[in-house]
Amino acid sequence: MSDPAGPARTIIGFVCERSLPLEYMLDGHNALQDDPNTKIIVVPCSGMVKPTQLELALANGADATFVCGCAIGDCHYRTGNLMIRERLEGKRNPKLRKTTDRRKVGLFFVTMKDKAPFLEALAAFRASLNPPAEPVED
Amino acid sequence: MYRKFLRLTKNLTVSLEKSLNLLTTQEHNPLYFHGALPLYTFWLLIFSGILLWMYYIPTLERAWSSVNYISALPTPGDPINLAGGIPYGAVIRGIHRWGAAAMMIVTLLHMLRVYFTDRHRSWRWLPWVSGVALLVVVLLVGLSGYLLVWDARAYYLVVASQHFLNAIPVLGGALASFLVGGEGITDYTLTRFLFFHVGTAVFIFWLVWMHFIRLKEPVVTPSRATNFLLIGFILVAAGTLPAINITHELLAKYGADPRIAAQAAYVASDAPAQIGTLVDTIRYDAWYMFPFWLIQNLGVGWAWIILGGATALLCVAPFYPKDRRANIAEVLEAKCTGCTFCSLDCPFEAITMVERAPGSKFKLIAVVQAARCSECGICVGACPFQAIELPELQSKTLEADLLALLKKGA
Repeated sequence: MSDPAGPARTIIGFVCERSLPLEYMLDGHNALQDDPNTKIIVVPCSGMVKPTQLELALANGADATFVCGCAIGDCHYRTGNLMIRERLEGKRNPKLRKTTDRRKVGLFFVTMKDKAPFLEALAAFRASLNPPAEPVED
Repeated sequence: MYRKFLRLTKNLTVSLEKSLNLLTTQEHNPLYFHGALPLYTFWLLIFSGILLWMYYIPTLERAWSSVNYISALPTPGDPINLAGGIPYGAVIRGIHRWGAAAMMIVTLLHMLRVYFTDRHRSWRWLPWVSGVALLVVVLLVGLSGYLLVWDARAYYLVVASQHFLNAIPVLGGALASFLVGGEGITDYTLTRFLFFHVGTAVFIFWLVWMHFIRLKEPVVTPSRATNFLLIGFILVAAGTLPAINITHELLAKYGADPRIAAQAAYVASDAPAQIGTLVDTIRYDAWYMFPFWLIQNLGVGWAWIILGGATALLCVAPFYPKDRRANIAEVLEAKCTGCTFCSLDCPFEAITMVERAPGSKFKLIAVVQAARCSECGICVGACPFQAIELPELQSKTLEADLLALLKKGA
């Protein structure tokens, strides 16, 4: 699943440990077995992710980031996936900065049986980055 | 062992829901609104119950006949007039009756979903234990509804309940006479039953408040499609199987009509109660009358042991097995500005804002109540000042890991 049109883009994913079956999905170095250029940070709940951490990843060389949480309605901690969604959509504090390129921020909601649909969605996300998203003019 | 069992049930539940998602889509899967379903059904029961209450007369003489007036036999040959006295009375009673069945079904569904996904333990003990209380109260309200009809079965249930209560040492006799409002059954008895049915239903609201008090923004409305589906089920049940009073005499008179004969299987009431004449056996419904099945078949002693034991087991369920609890959120006093974001976002109301000492730099500080904390880190995500952290997964470490990953990738 490498990027044919250029250097493989690095994607950083913040993944809720209760959503994807990560124990079967990671290689030894926190990269996805099916997509080695996607590196995973494991969090107990997608609601723990700070928007600033996505910005930090983008500022330090990640080509894109995403957050993956449980299916809406099925967060183990009730509202974590709703919280991160609202924060990334700018409806709840703290919000994603306005200057952040939203095309580089993905958001997936899956159950722990949804490995295949997740990989499909991730591939589509990766494909949407190609050609590379234009920088925001300011 | 028990943990493994809980993990297995969680796996099975998620698999089931995944299959259901194919049918309903993730957005409308009723299992993602399971908590809202009982509350929603409860509203339906309240509104249909108010309508029935308007015509119900709680006296020995009139109770059965007033129910009969509400939901008399349909007039043969007239498909529109489903009721004798009150237009569509049988349908309203049908809504109340099938709604009551739905209430128990969705309540059990909610309970099993919560239990099977291991969402009943530790910091969730209050919602779970108040939920057990709600289950018991829903059972009692449902059973008291069967008494109001005041048919032969209702009388049987009263006598059996008195046996059941009499088995309690010391207090038993007093409770048994409290149940019927005196030594014998009088008009006060039915007034009391009406209070048990309606008054206890009001008590449900108080319990629901207890149920919700430690949940931020509890889900109280199912998705619209789920709403319509649930109402649709109940309405179809009530429309095709309205609750009508069919006695043997009426059956003999109108039984030739196939519509009536078909409904004989769904008799809502028996013949009027006659005090002193106890029927040998009663028709048991599927959802509410199992305590009486236990009393009839196993005896009062075993019924107490089974029902009491099951309730006690449910009440201690959230306290076993114990978790490690090493990752409870901690507030860094120097950094907390008192902005309230974490307290607003905590899904279990574990964070309260407290006034700082006079003369402090900031007015408020967040305080975590350890027993309520779920170690989820949502407060960490809410904090713009790095002032609240999970001890075993500090933001600093997480961000260092992140930068290391990016370096390795480069």
